[in-house]
Amino acid sequence: MPVIKVNNRDVHIQELNKGAAETVLLVHGMFSNLSVYYFNIAPILAEHFHVVMYDLKSHGMSERTLHGYDLNSMTDDLNALMEALQLNVVHLAGYSFGGLIALKMALRFPDKVKKLVVIEAPDPKDEKARGIIDDYSREFLEHYVENFTDTTKVKMGKRQMERNHRMYEYLFYQTSIKSDMIAEKDFLDEPQISLLNKDTLLLYGSDSNCLETGKELNGKIKTSELTAVPGDHNIPIQEPVLIANMINTFFMN
Amino acid sequence: MDTVASTTKMNRDEIFDLMKQFITEVIGEEFVEEMDITPESSFTKDLEMDSIEIVSFSEKIKAHFGDQIDFTGWLSSMDLDQLINLNLGMIINYIYECQ
Repeated sequence: MPVIKVNNRDVHIQELNKGAAETVLLVHGMFSNLSVYYFNIAPILAEHFHVVMYDLKSHGMSERTLHGYDLNSMTDDLNALMEALQLNVVHLAGYSFGGLIALKMALRFPDKVKKLVVIEAPDPKDEKARGIIDDYSREFLEHYVENFTDTTKVKMGKRQMERNHRMYEYLFYQTSIKSDMIAEKDFLDEPQISLLNKDTLLLYGSDSNCLETGKELNGKIKTSELTAVPGDHNIPIQEPVLIANMINTFFMN
Repeated sequence: MDTVASTTKMNRDEIFDLMKQFITEVIGEEFVEEMDITPESSFTKDLEMDSIEIVSFSEKIKAHFGDQIDFTGWLSSMDLDQLINLNLGMIINYIYECQ
């Protein structure tokens, strides 16, 4: 299992097609992990690109960390990861909360991002997204897992439920994730977003609650194009091949 | 890390034992003790492995067999329903045929 030290913390990474000239870096969403890309999307991108996936802090097999879930910290982590892997510039794609990280990365470190793909990034202002955190309970987890989890469609057994429960408990009650997320509520109102000068592909589910956010972003970013993909917030699981091919075409042209 | 020590072809029982060892390493001995792992065991339903655990499991196969077996490539050719129904026997067959 490839685990590297970044800023003295263990980060689980996966790389495909290391010899390729250009790199695609993929950022997963909150409560998810790199497996959202690993099985279907990454292998297609790896036909042309060096592909790098990593688990965000406290997610997947990366080290648990109490603080630093705001977008500045998350992009500091990403920047440090790029330095550790000696990547000067990458094509960047992020899903859900990872889409916000990718967007923030393009704003903060424009020289390091060639092209940008934002998949189903939510508006952090959305009361519902924050309500989820306030209402957290085991019952909620069971409901959430059945309906919204973006790692798998499979219903969880006891061991998985406990495992996920522990992760949620840790993230919600021990780390600063909740307050860090609330502090980002106005992120999409930042004026720099309108100044972003980066080819950007926005991919949203045609039935997703986040589609309005996609439209809003498309209105702000002058160099963006918005494509609605059949499905809801879980489009990378629902349409992995379609998503991978769209990203591939966008990064190659 | 395990590497291929010889070019001798493993039989299905040997592959099964190796897969059980990998599964134990990924999900932990305490859970495996409560399970009856057979070639019919499905990864998601019976072994309750989630996708990040299957990533770890794939890494172990890669580390052991090297380029001989494109396990991730094989998995990536499956759709979600096929992945959900994936059982140990199918993996044993795949590895056996690839050798």
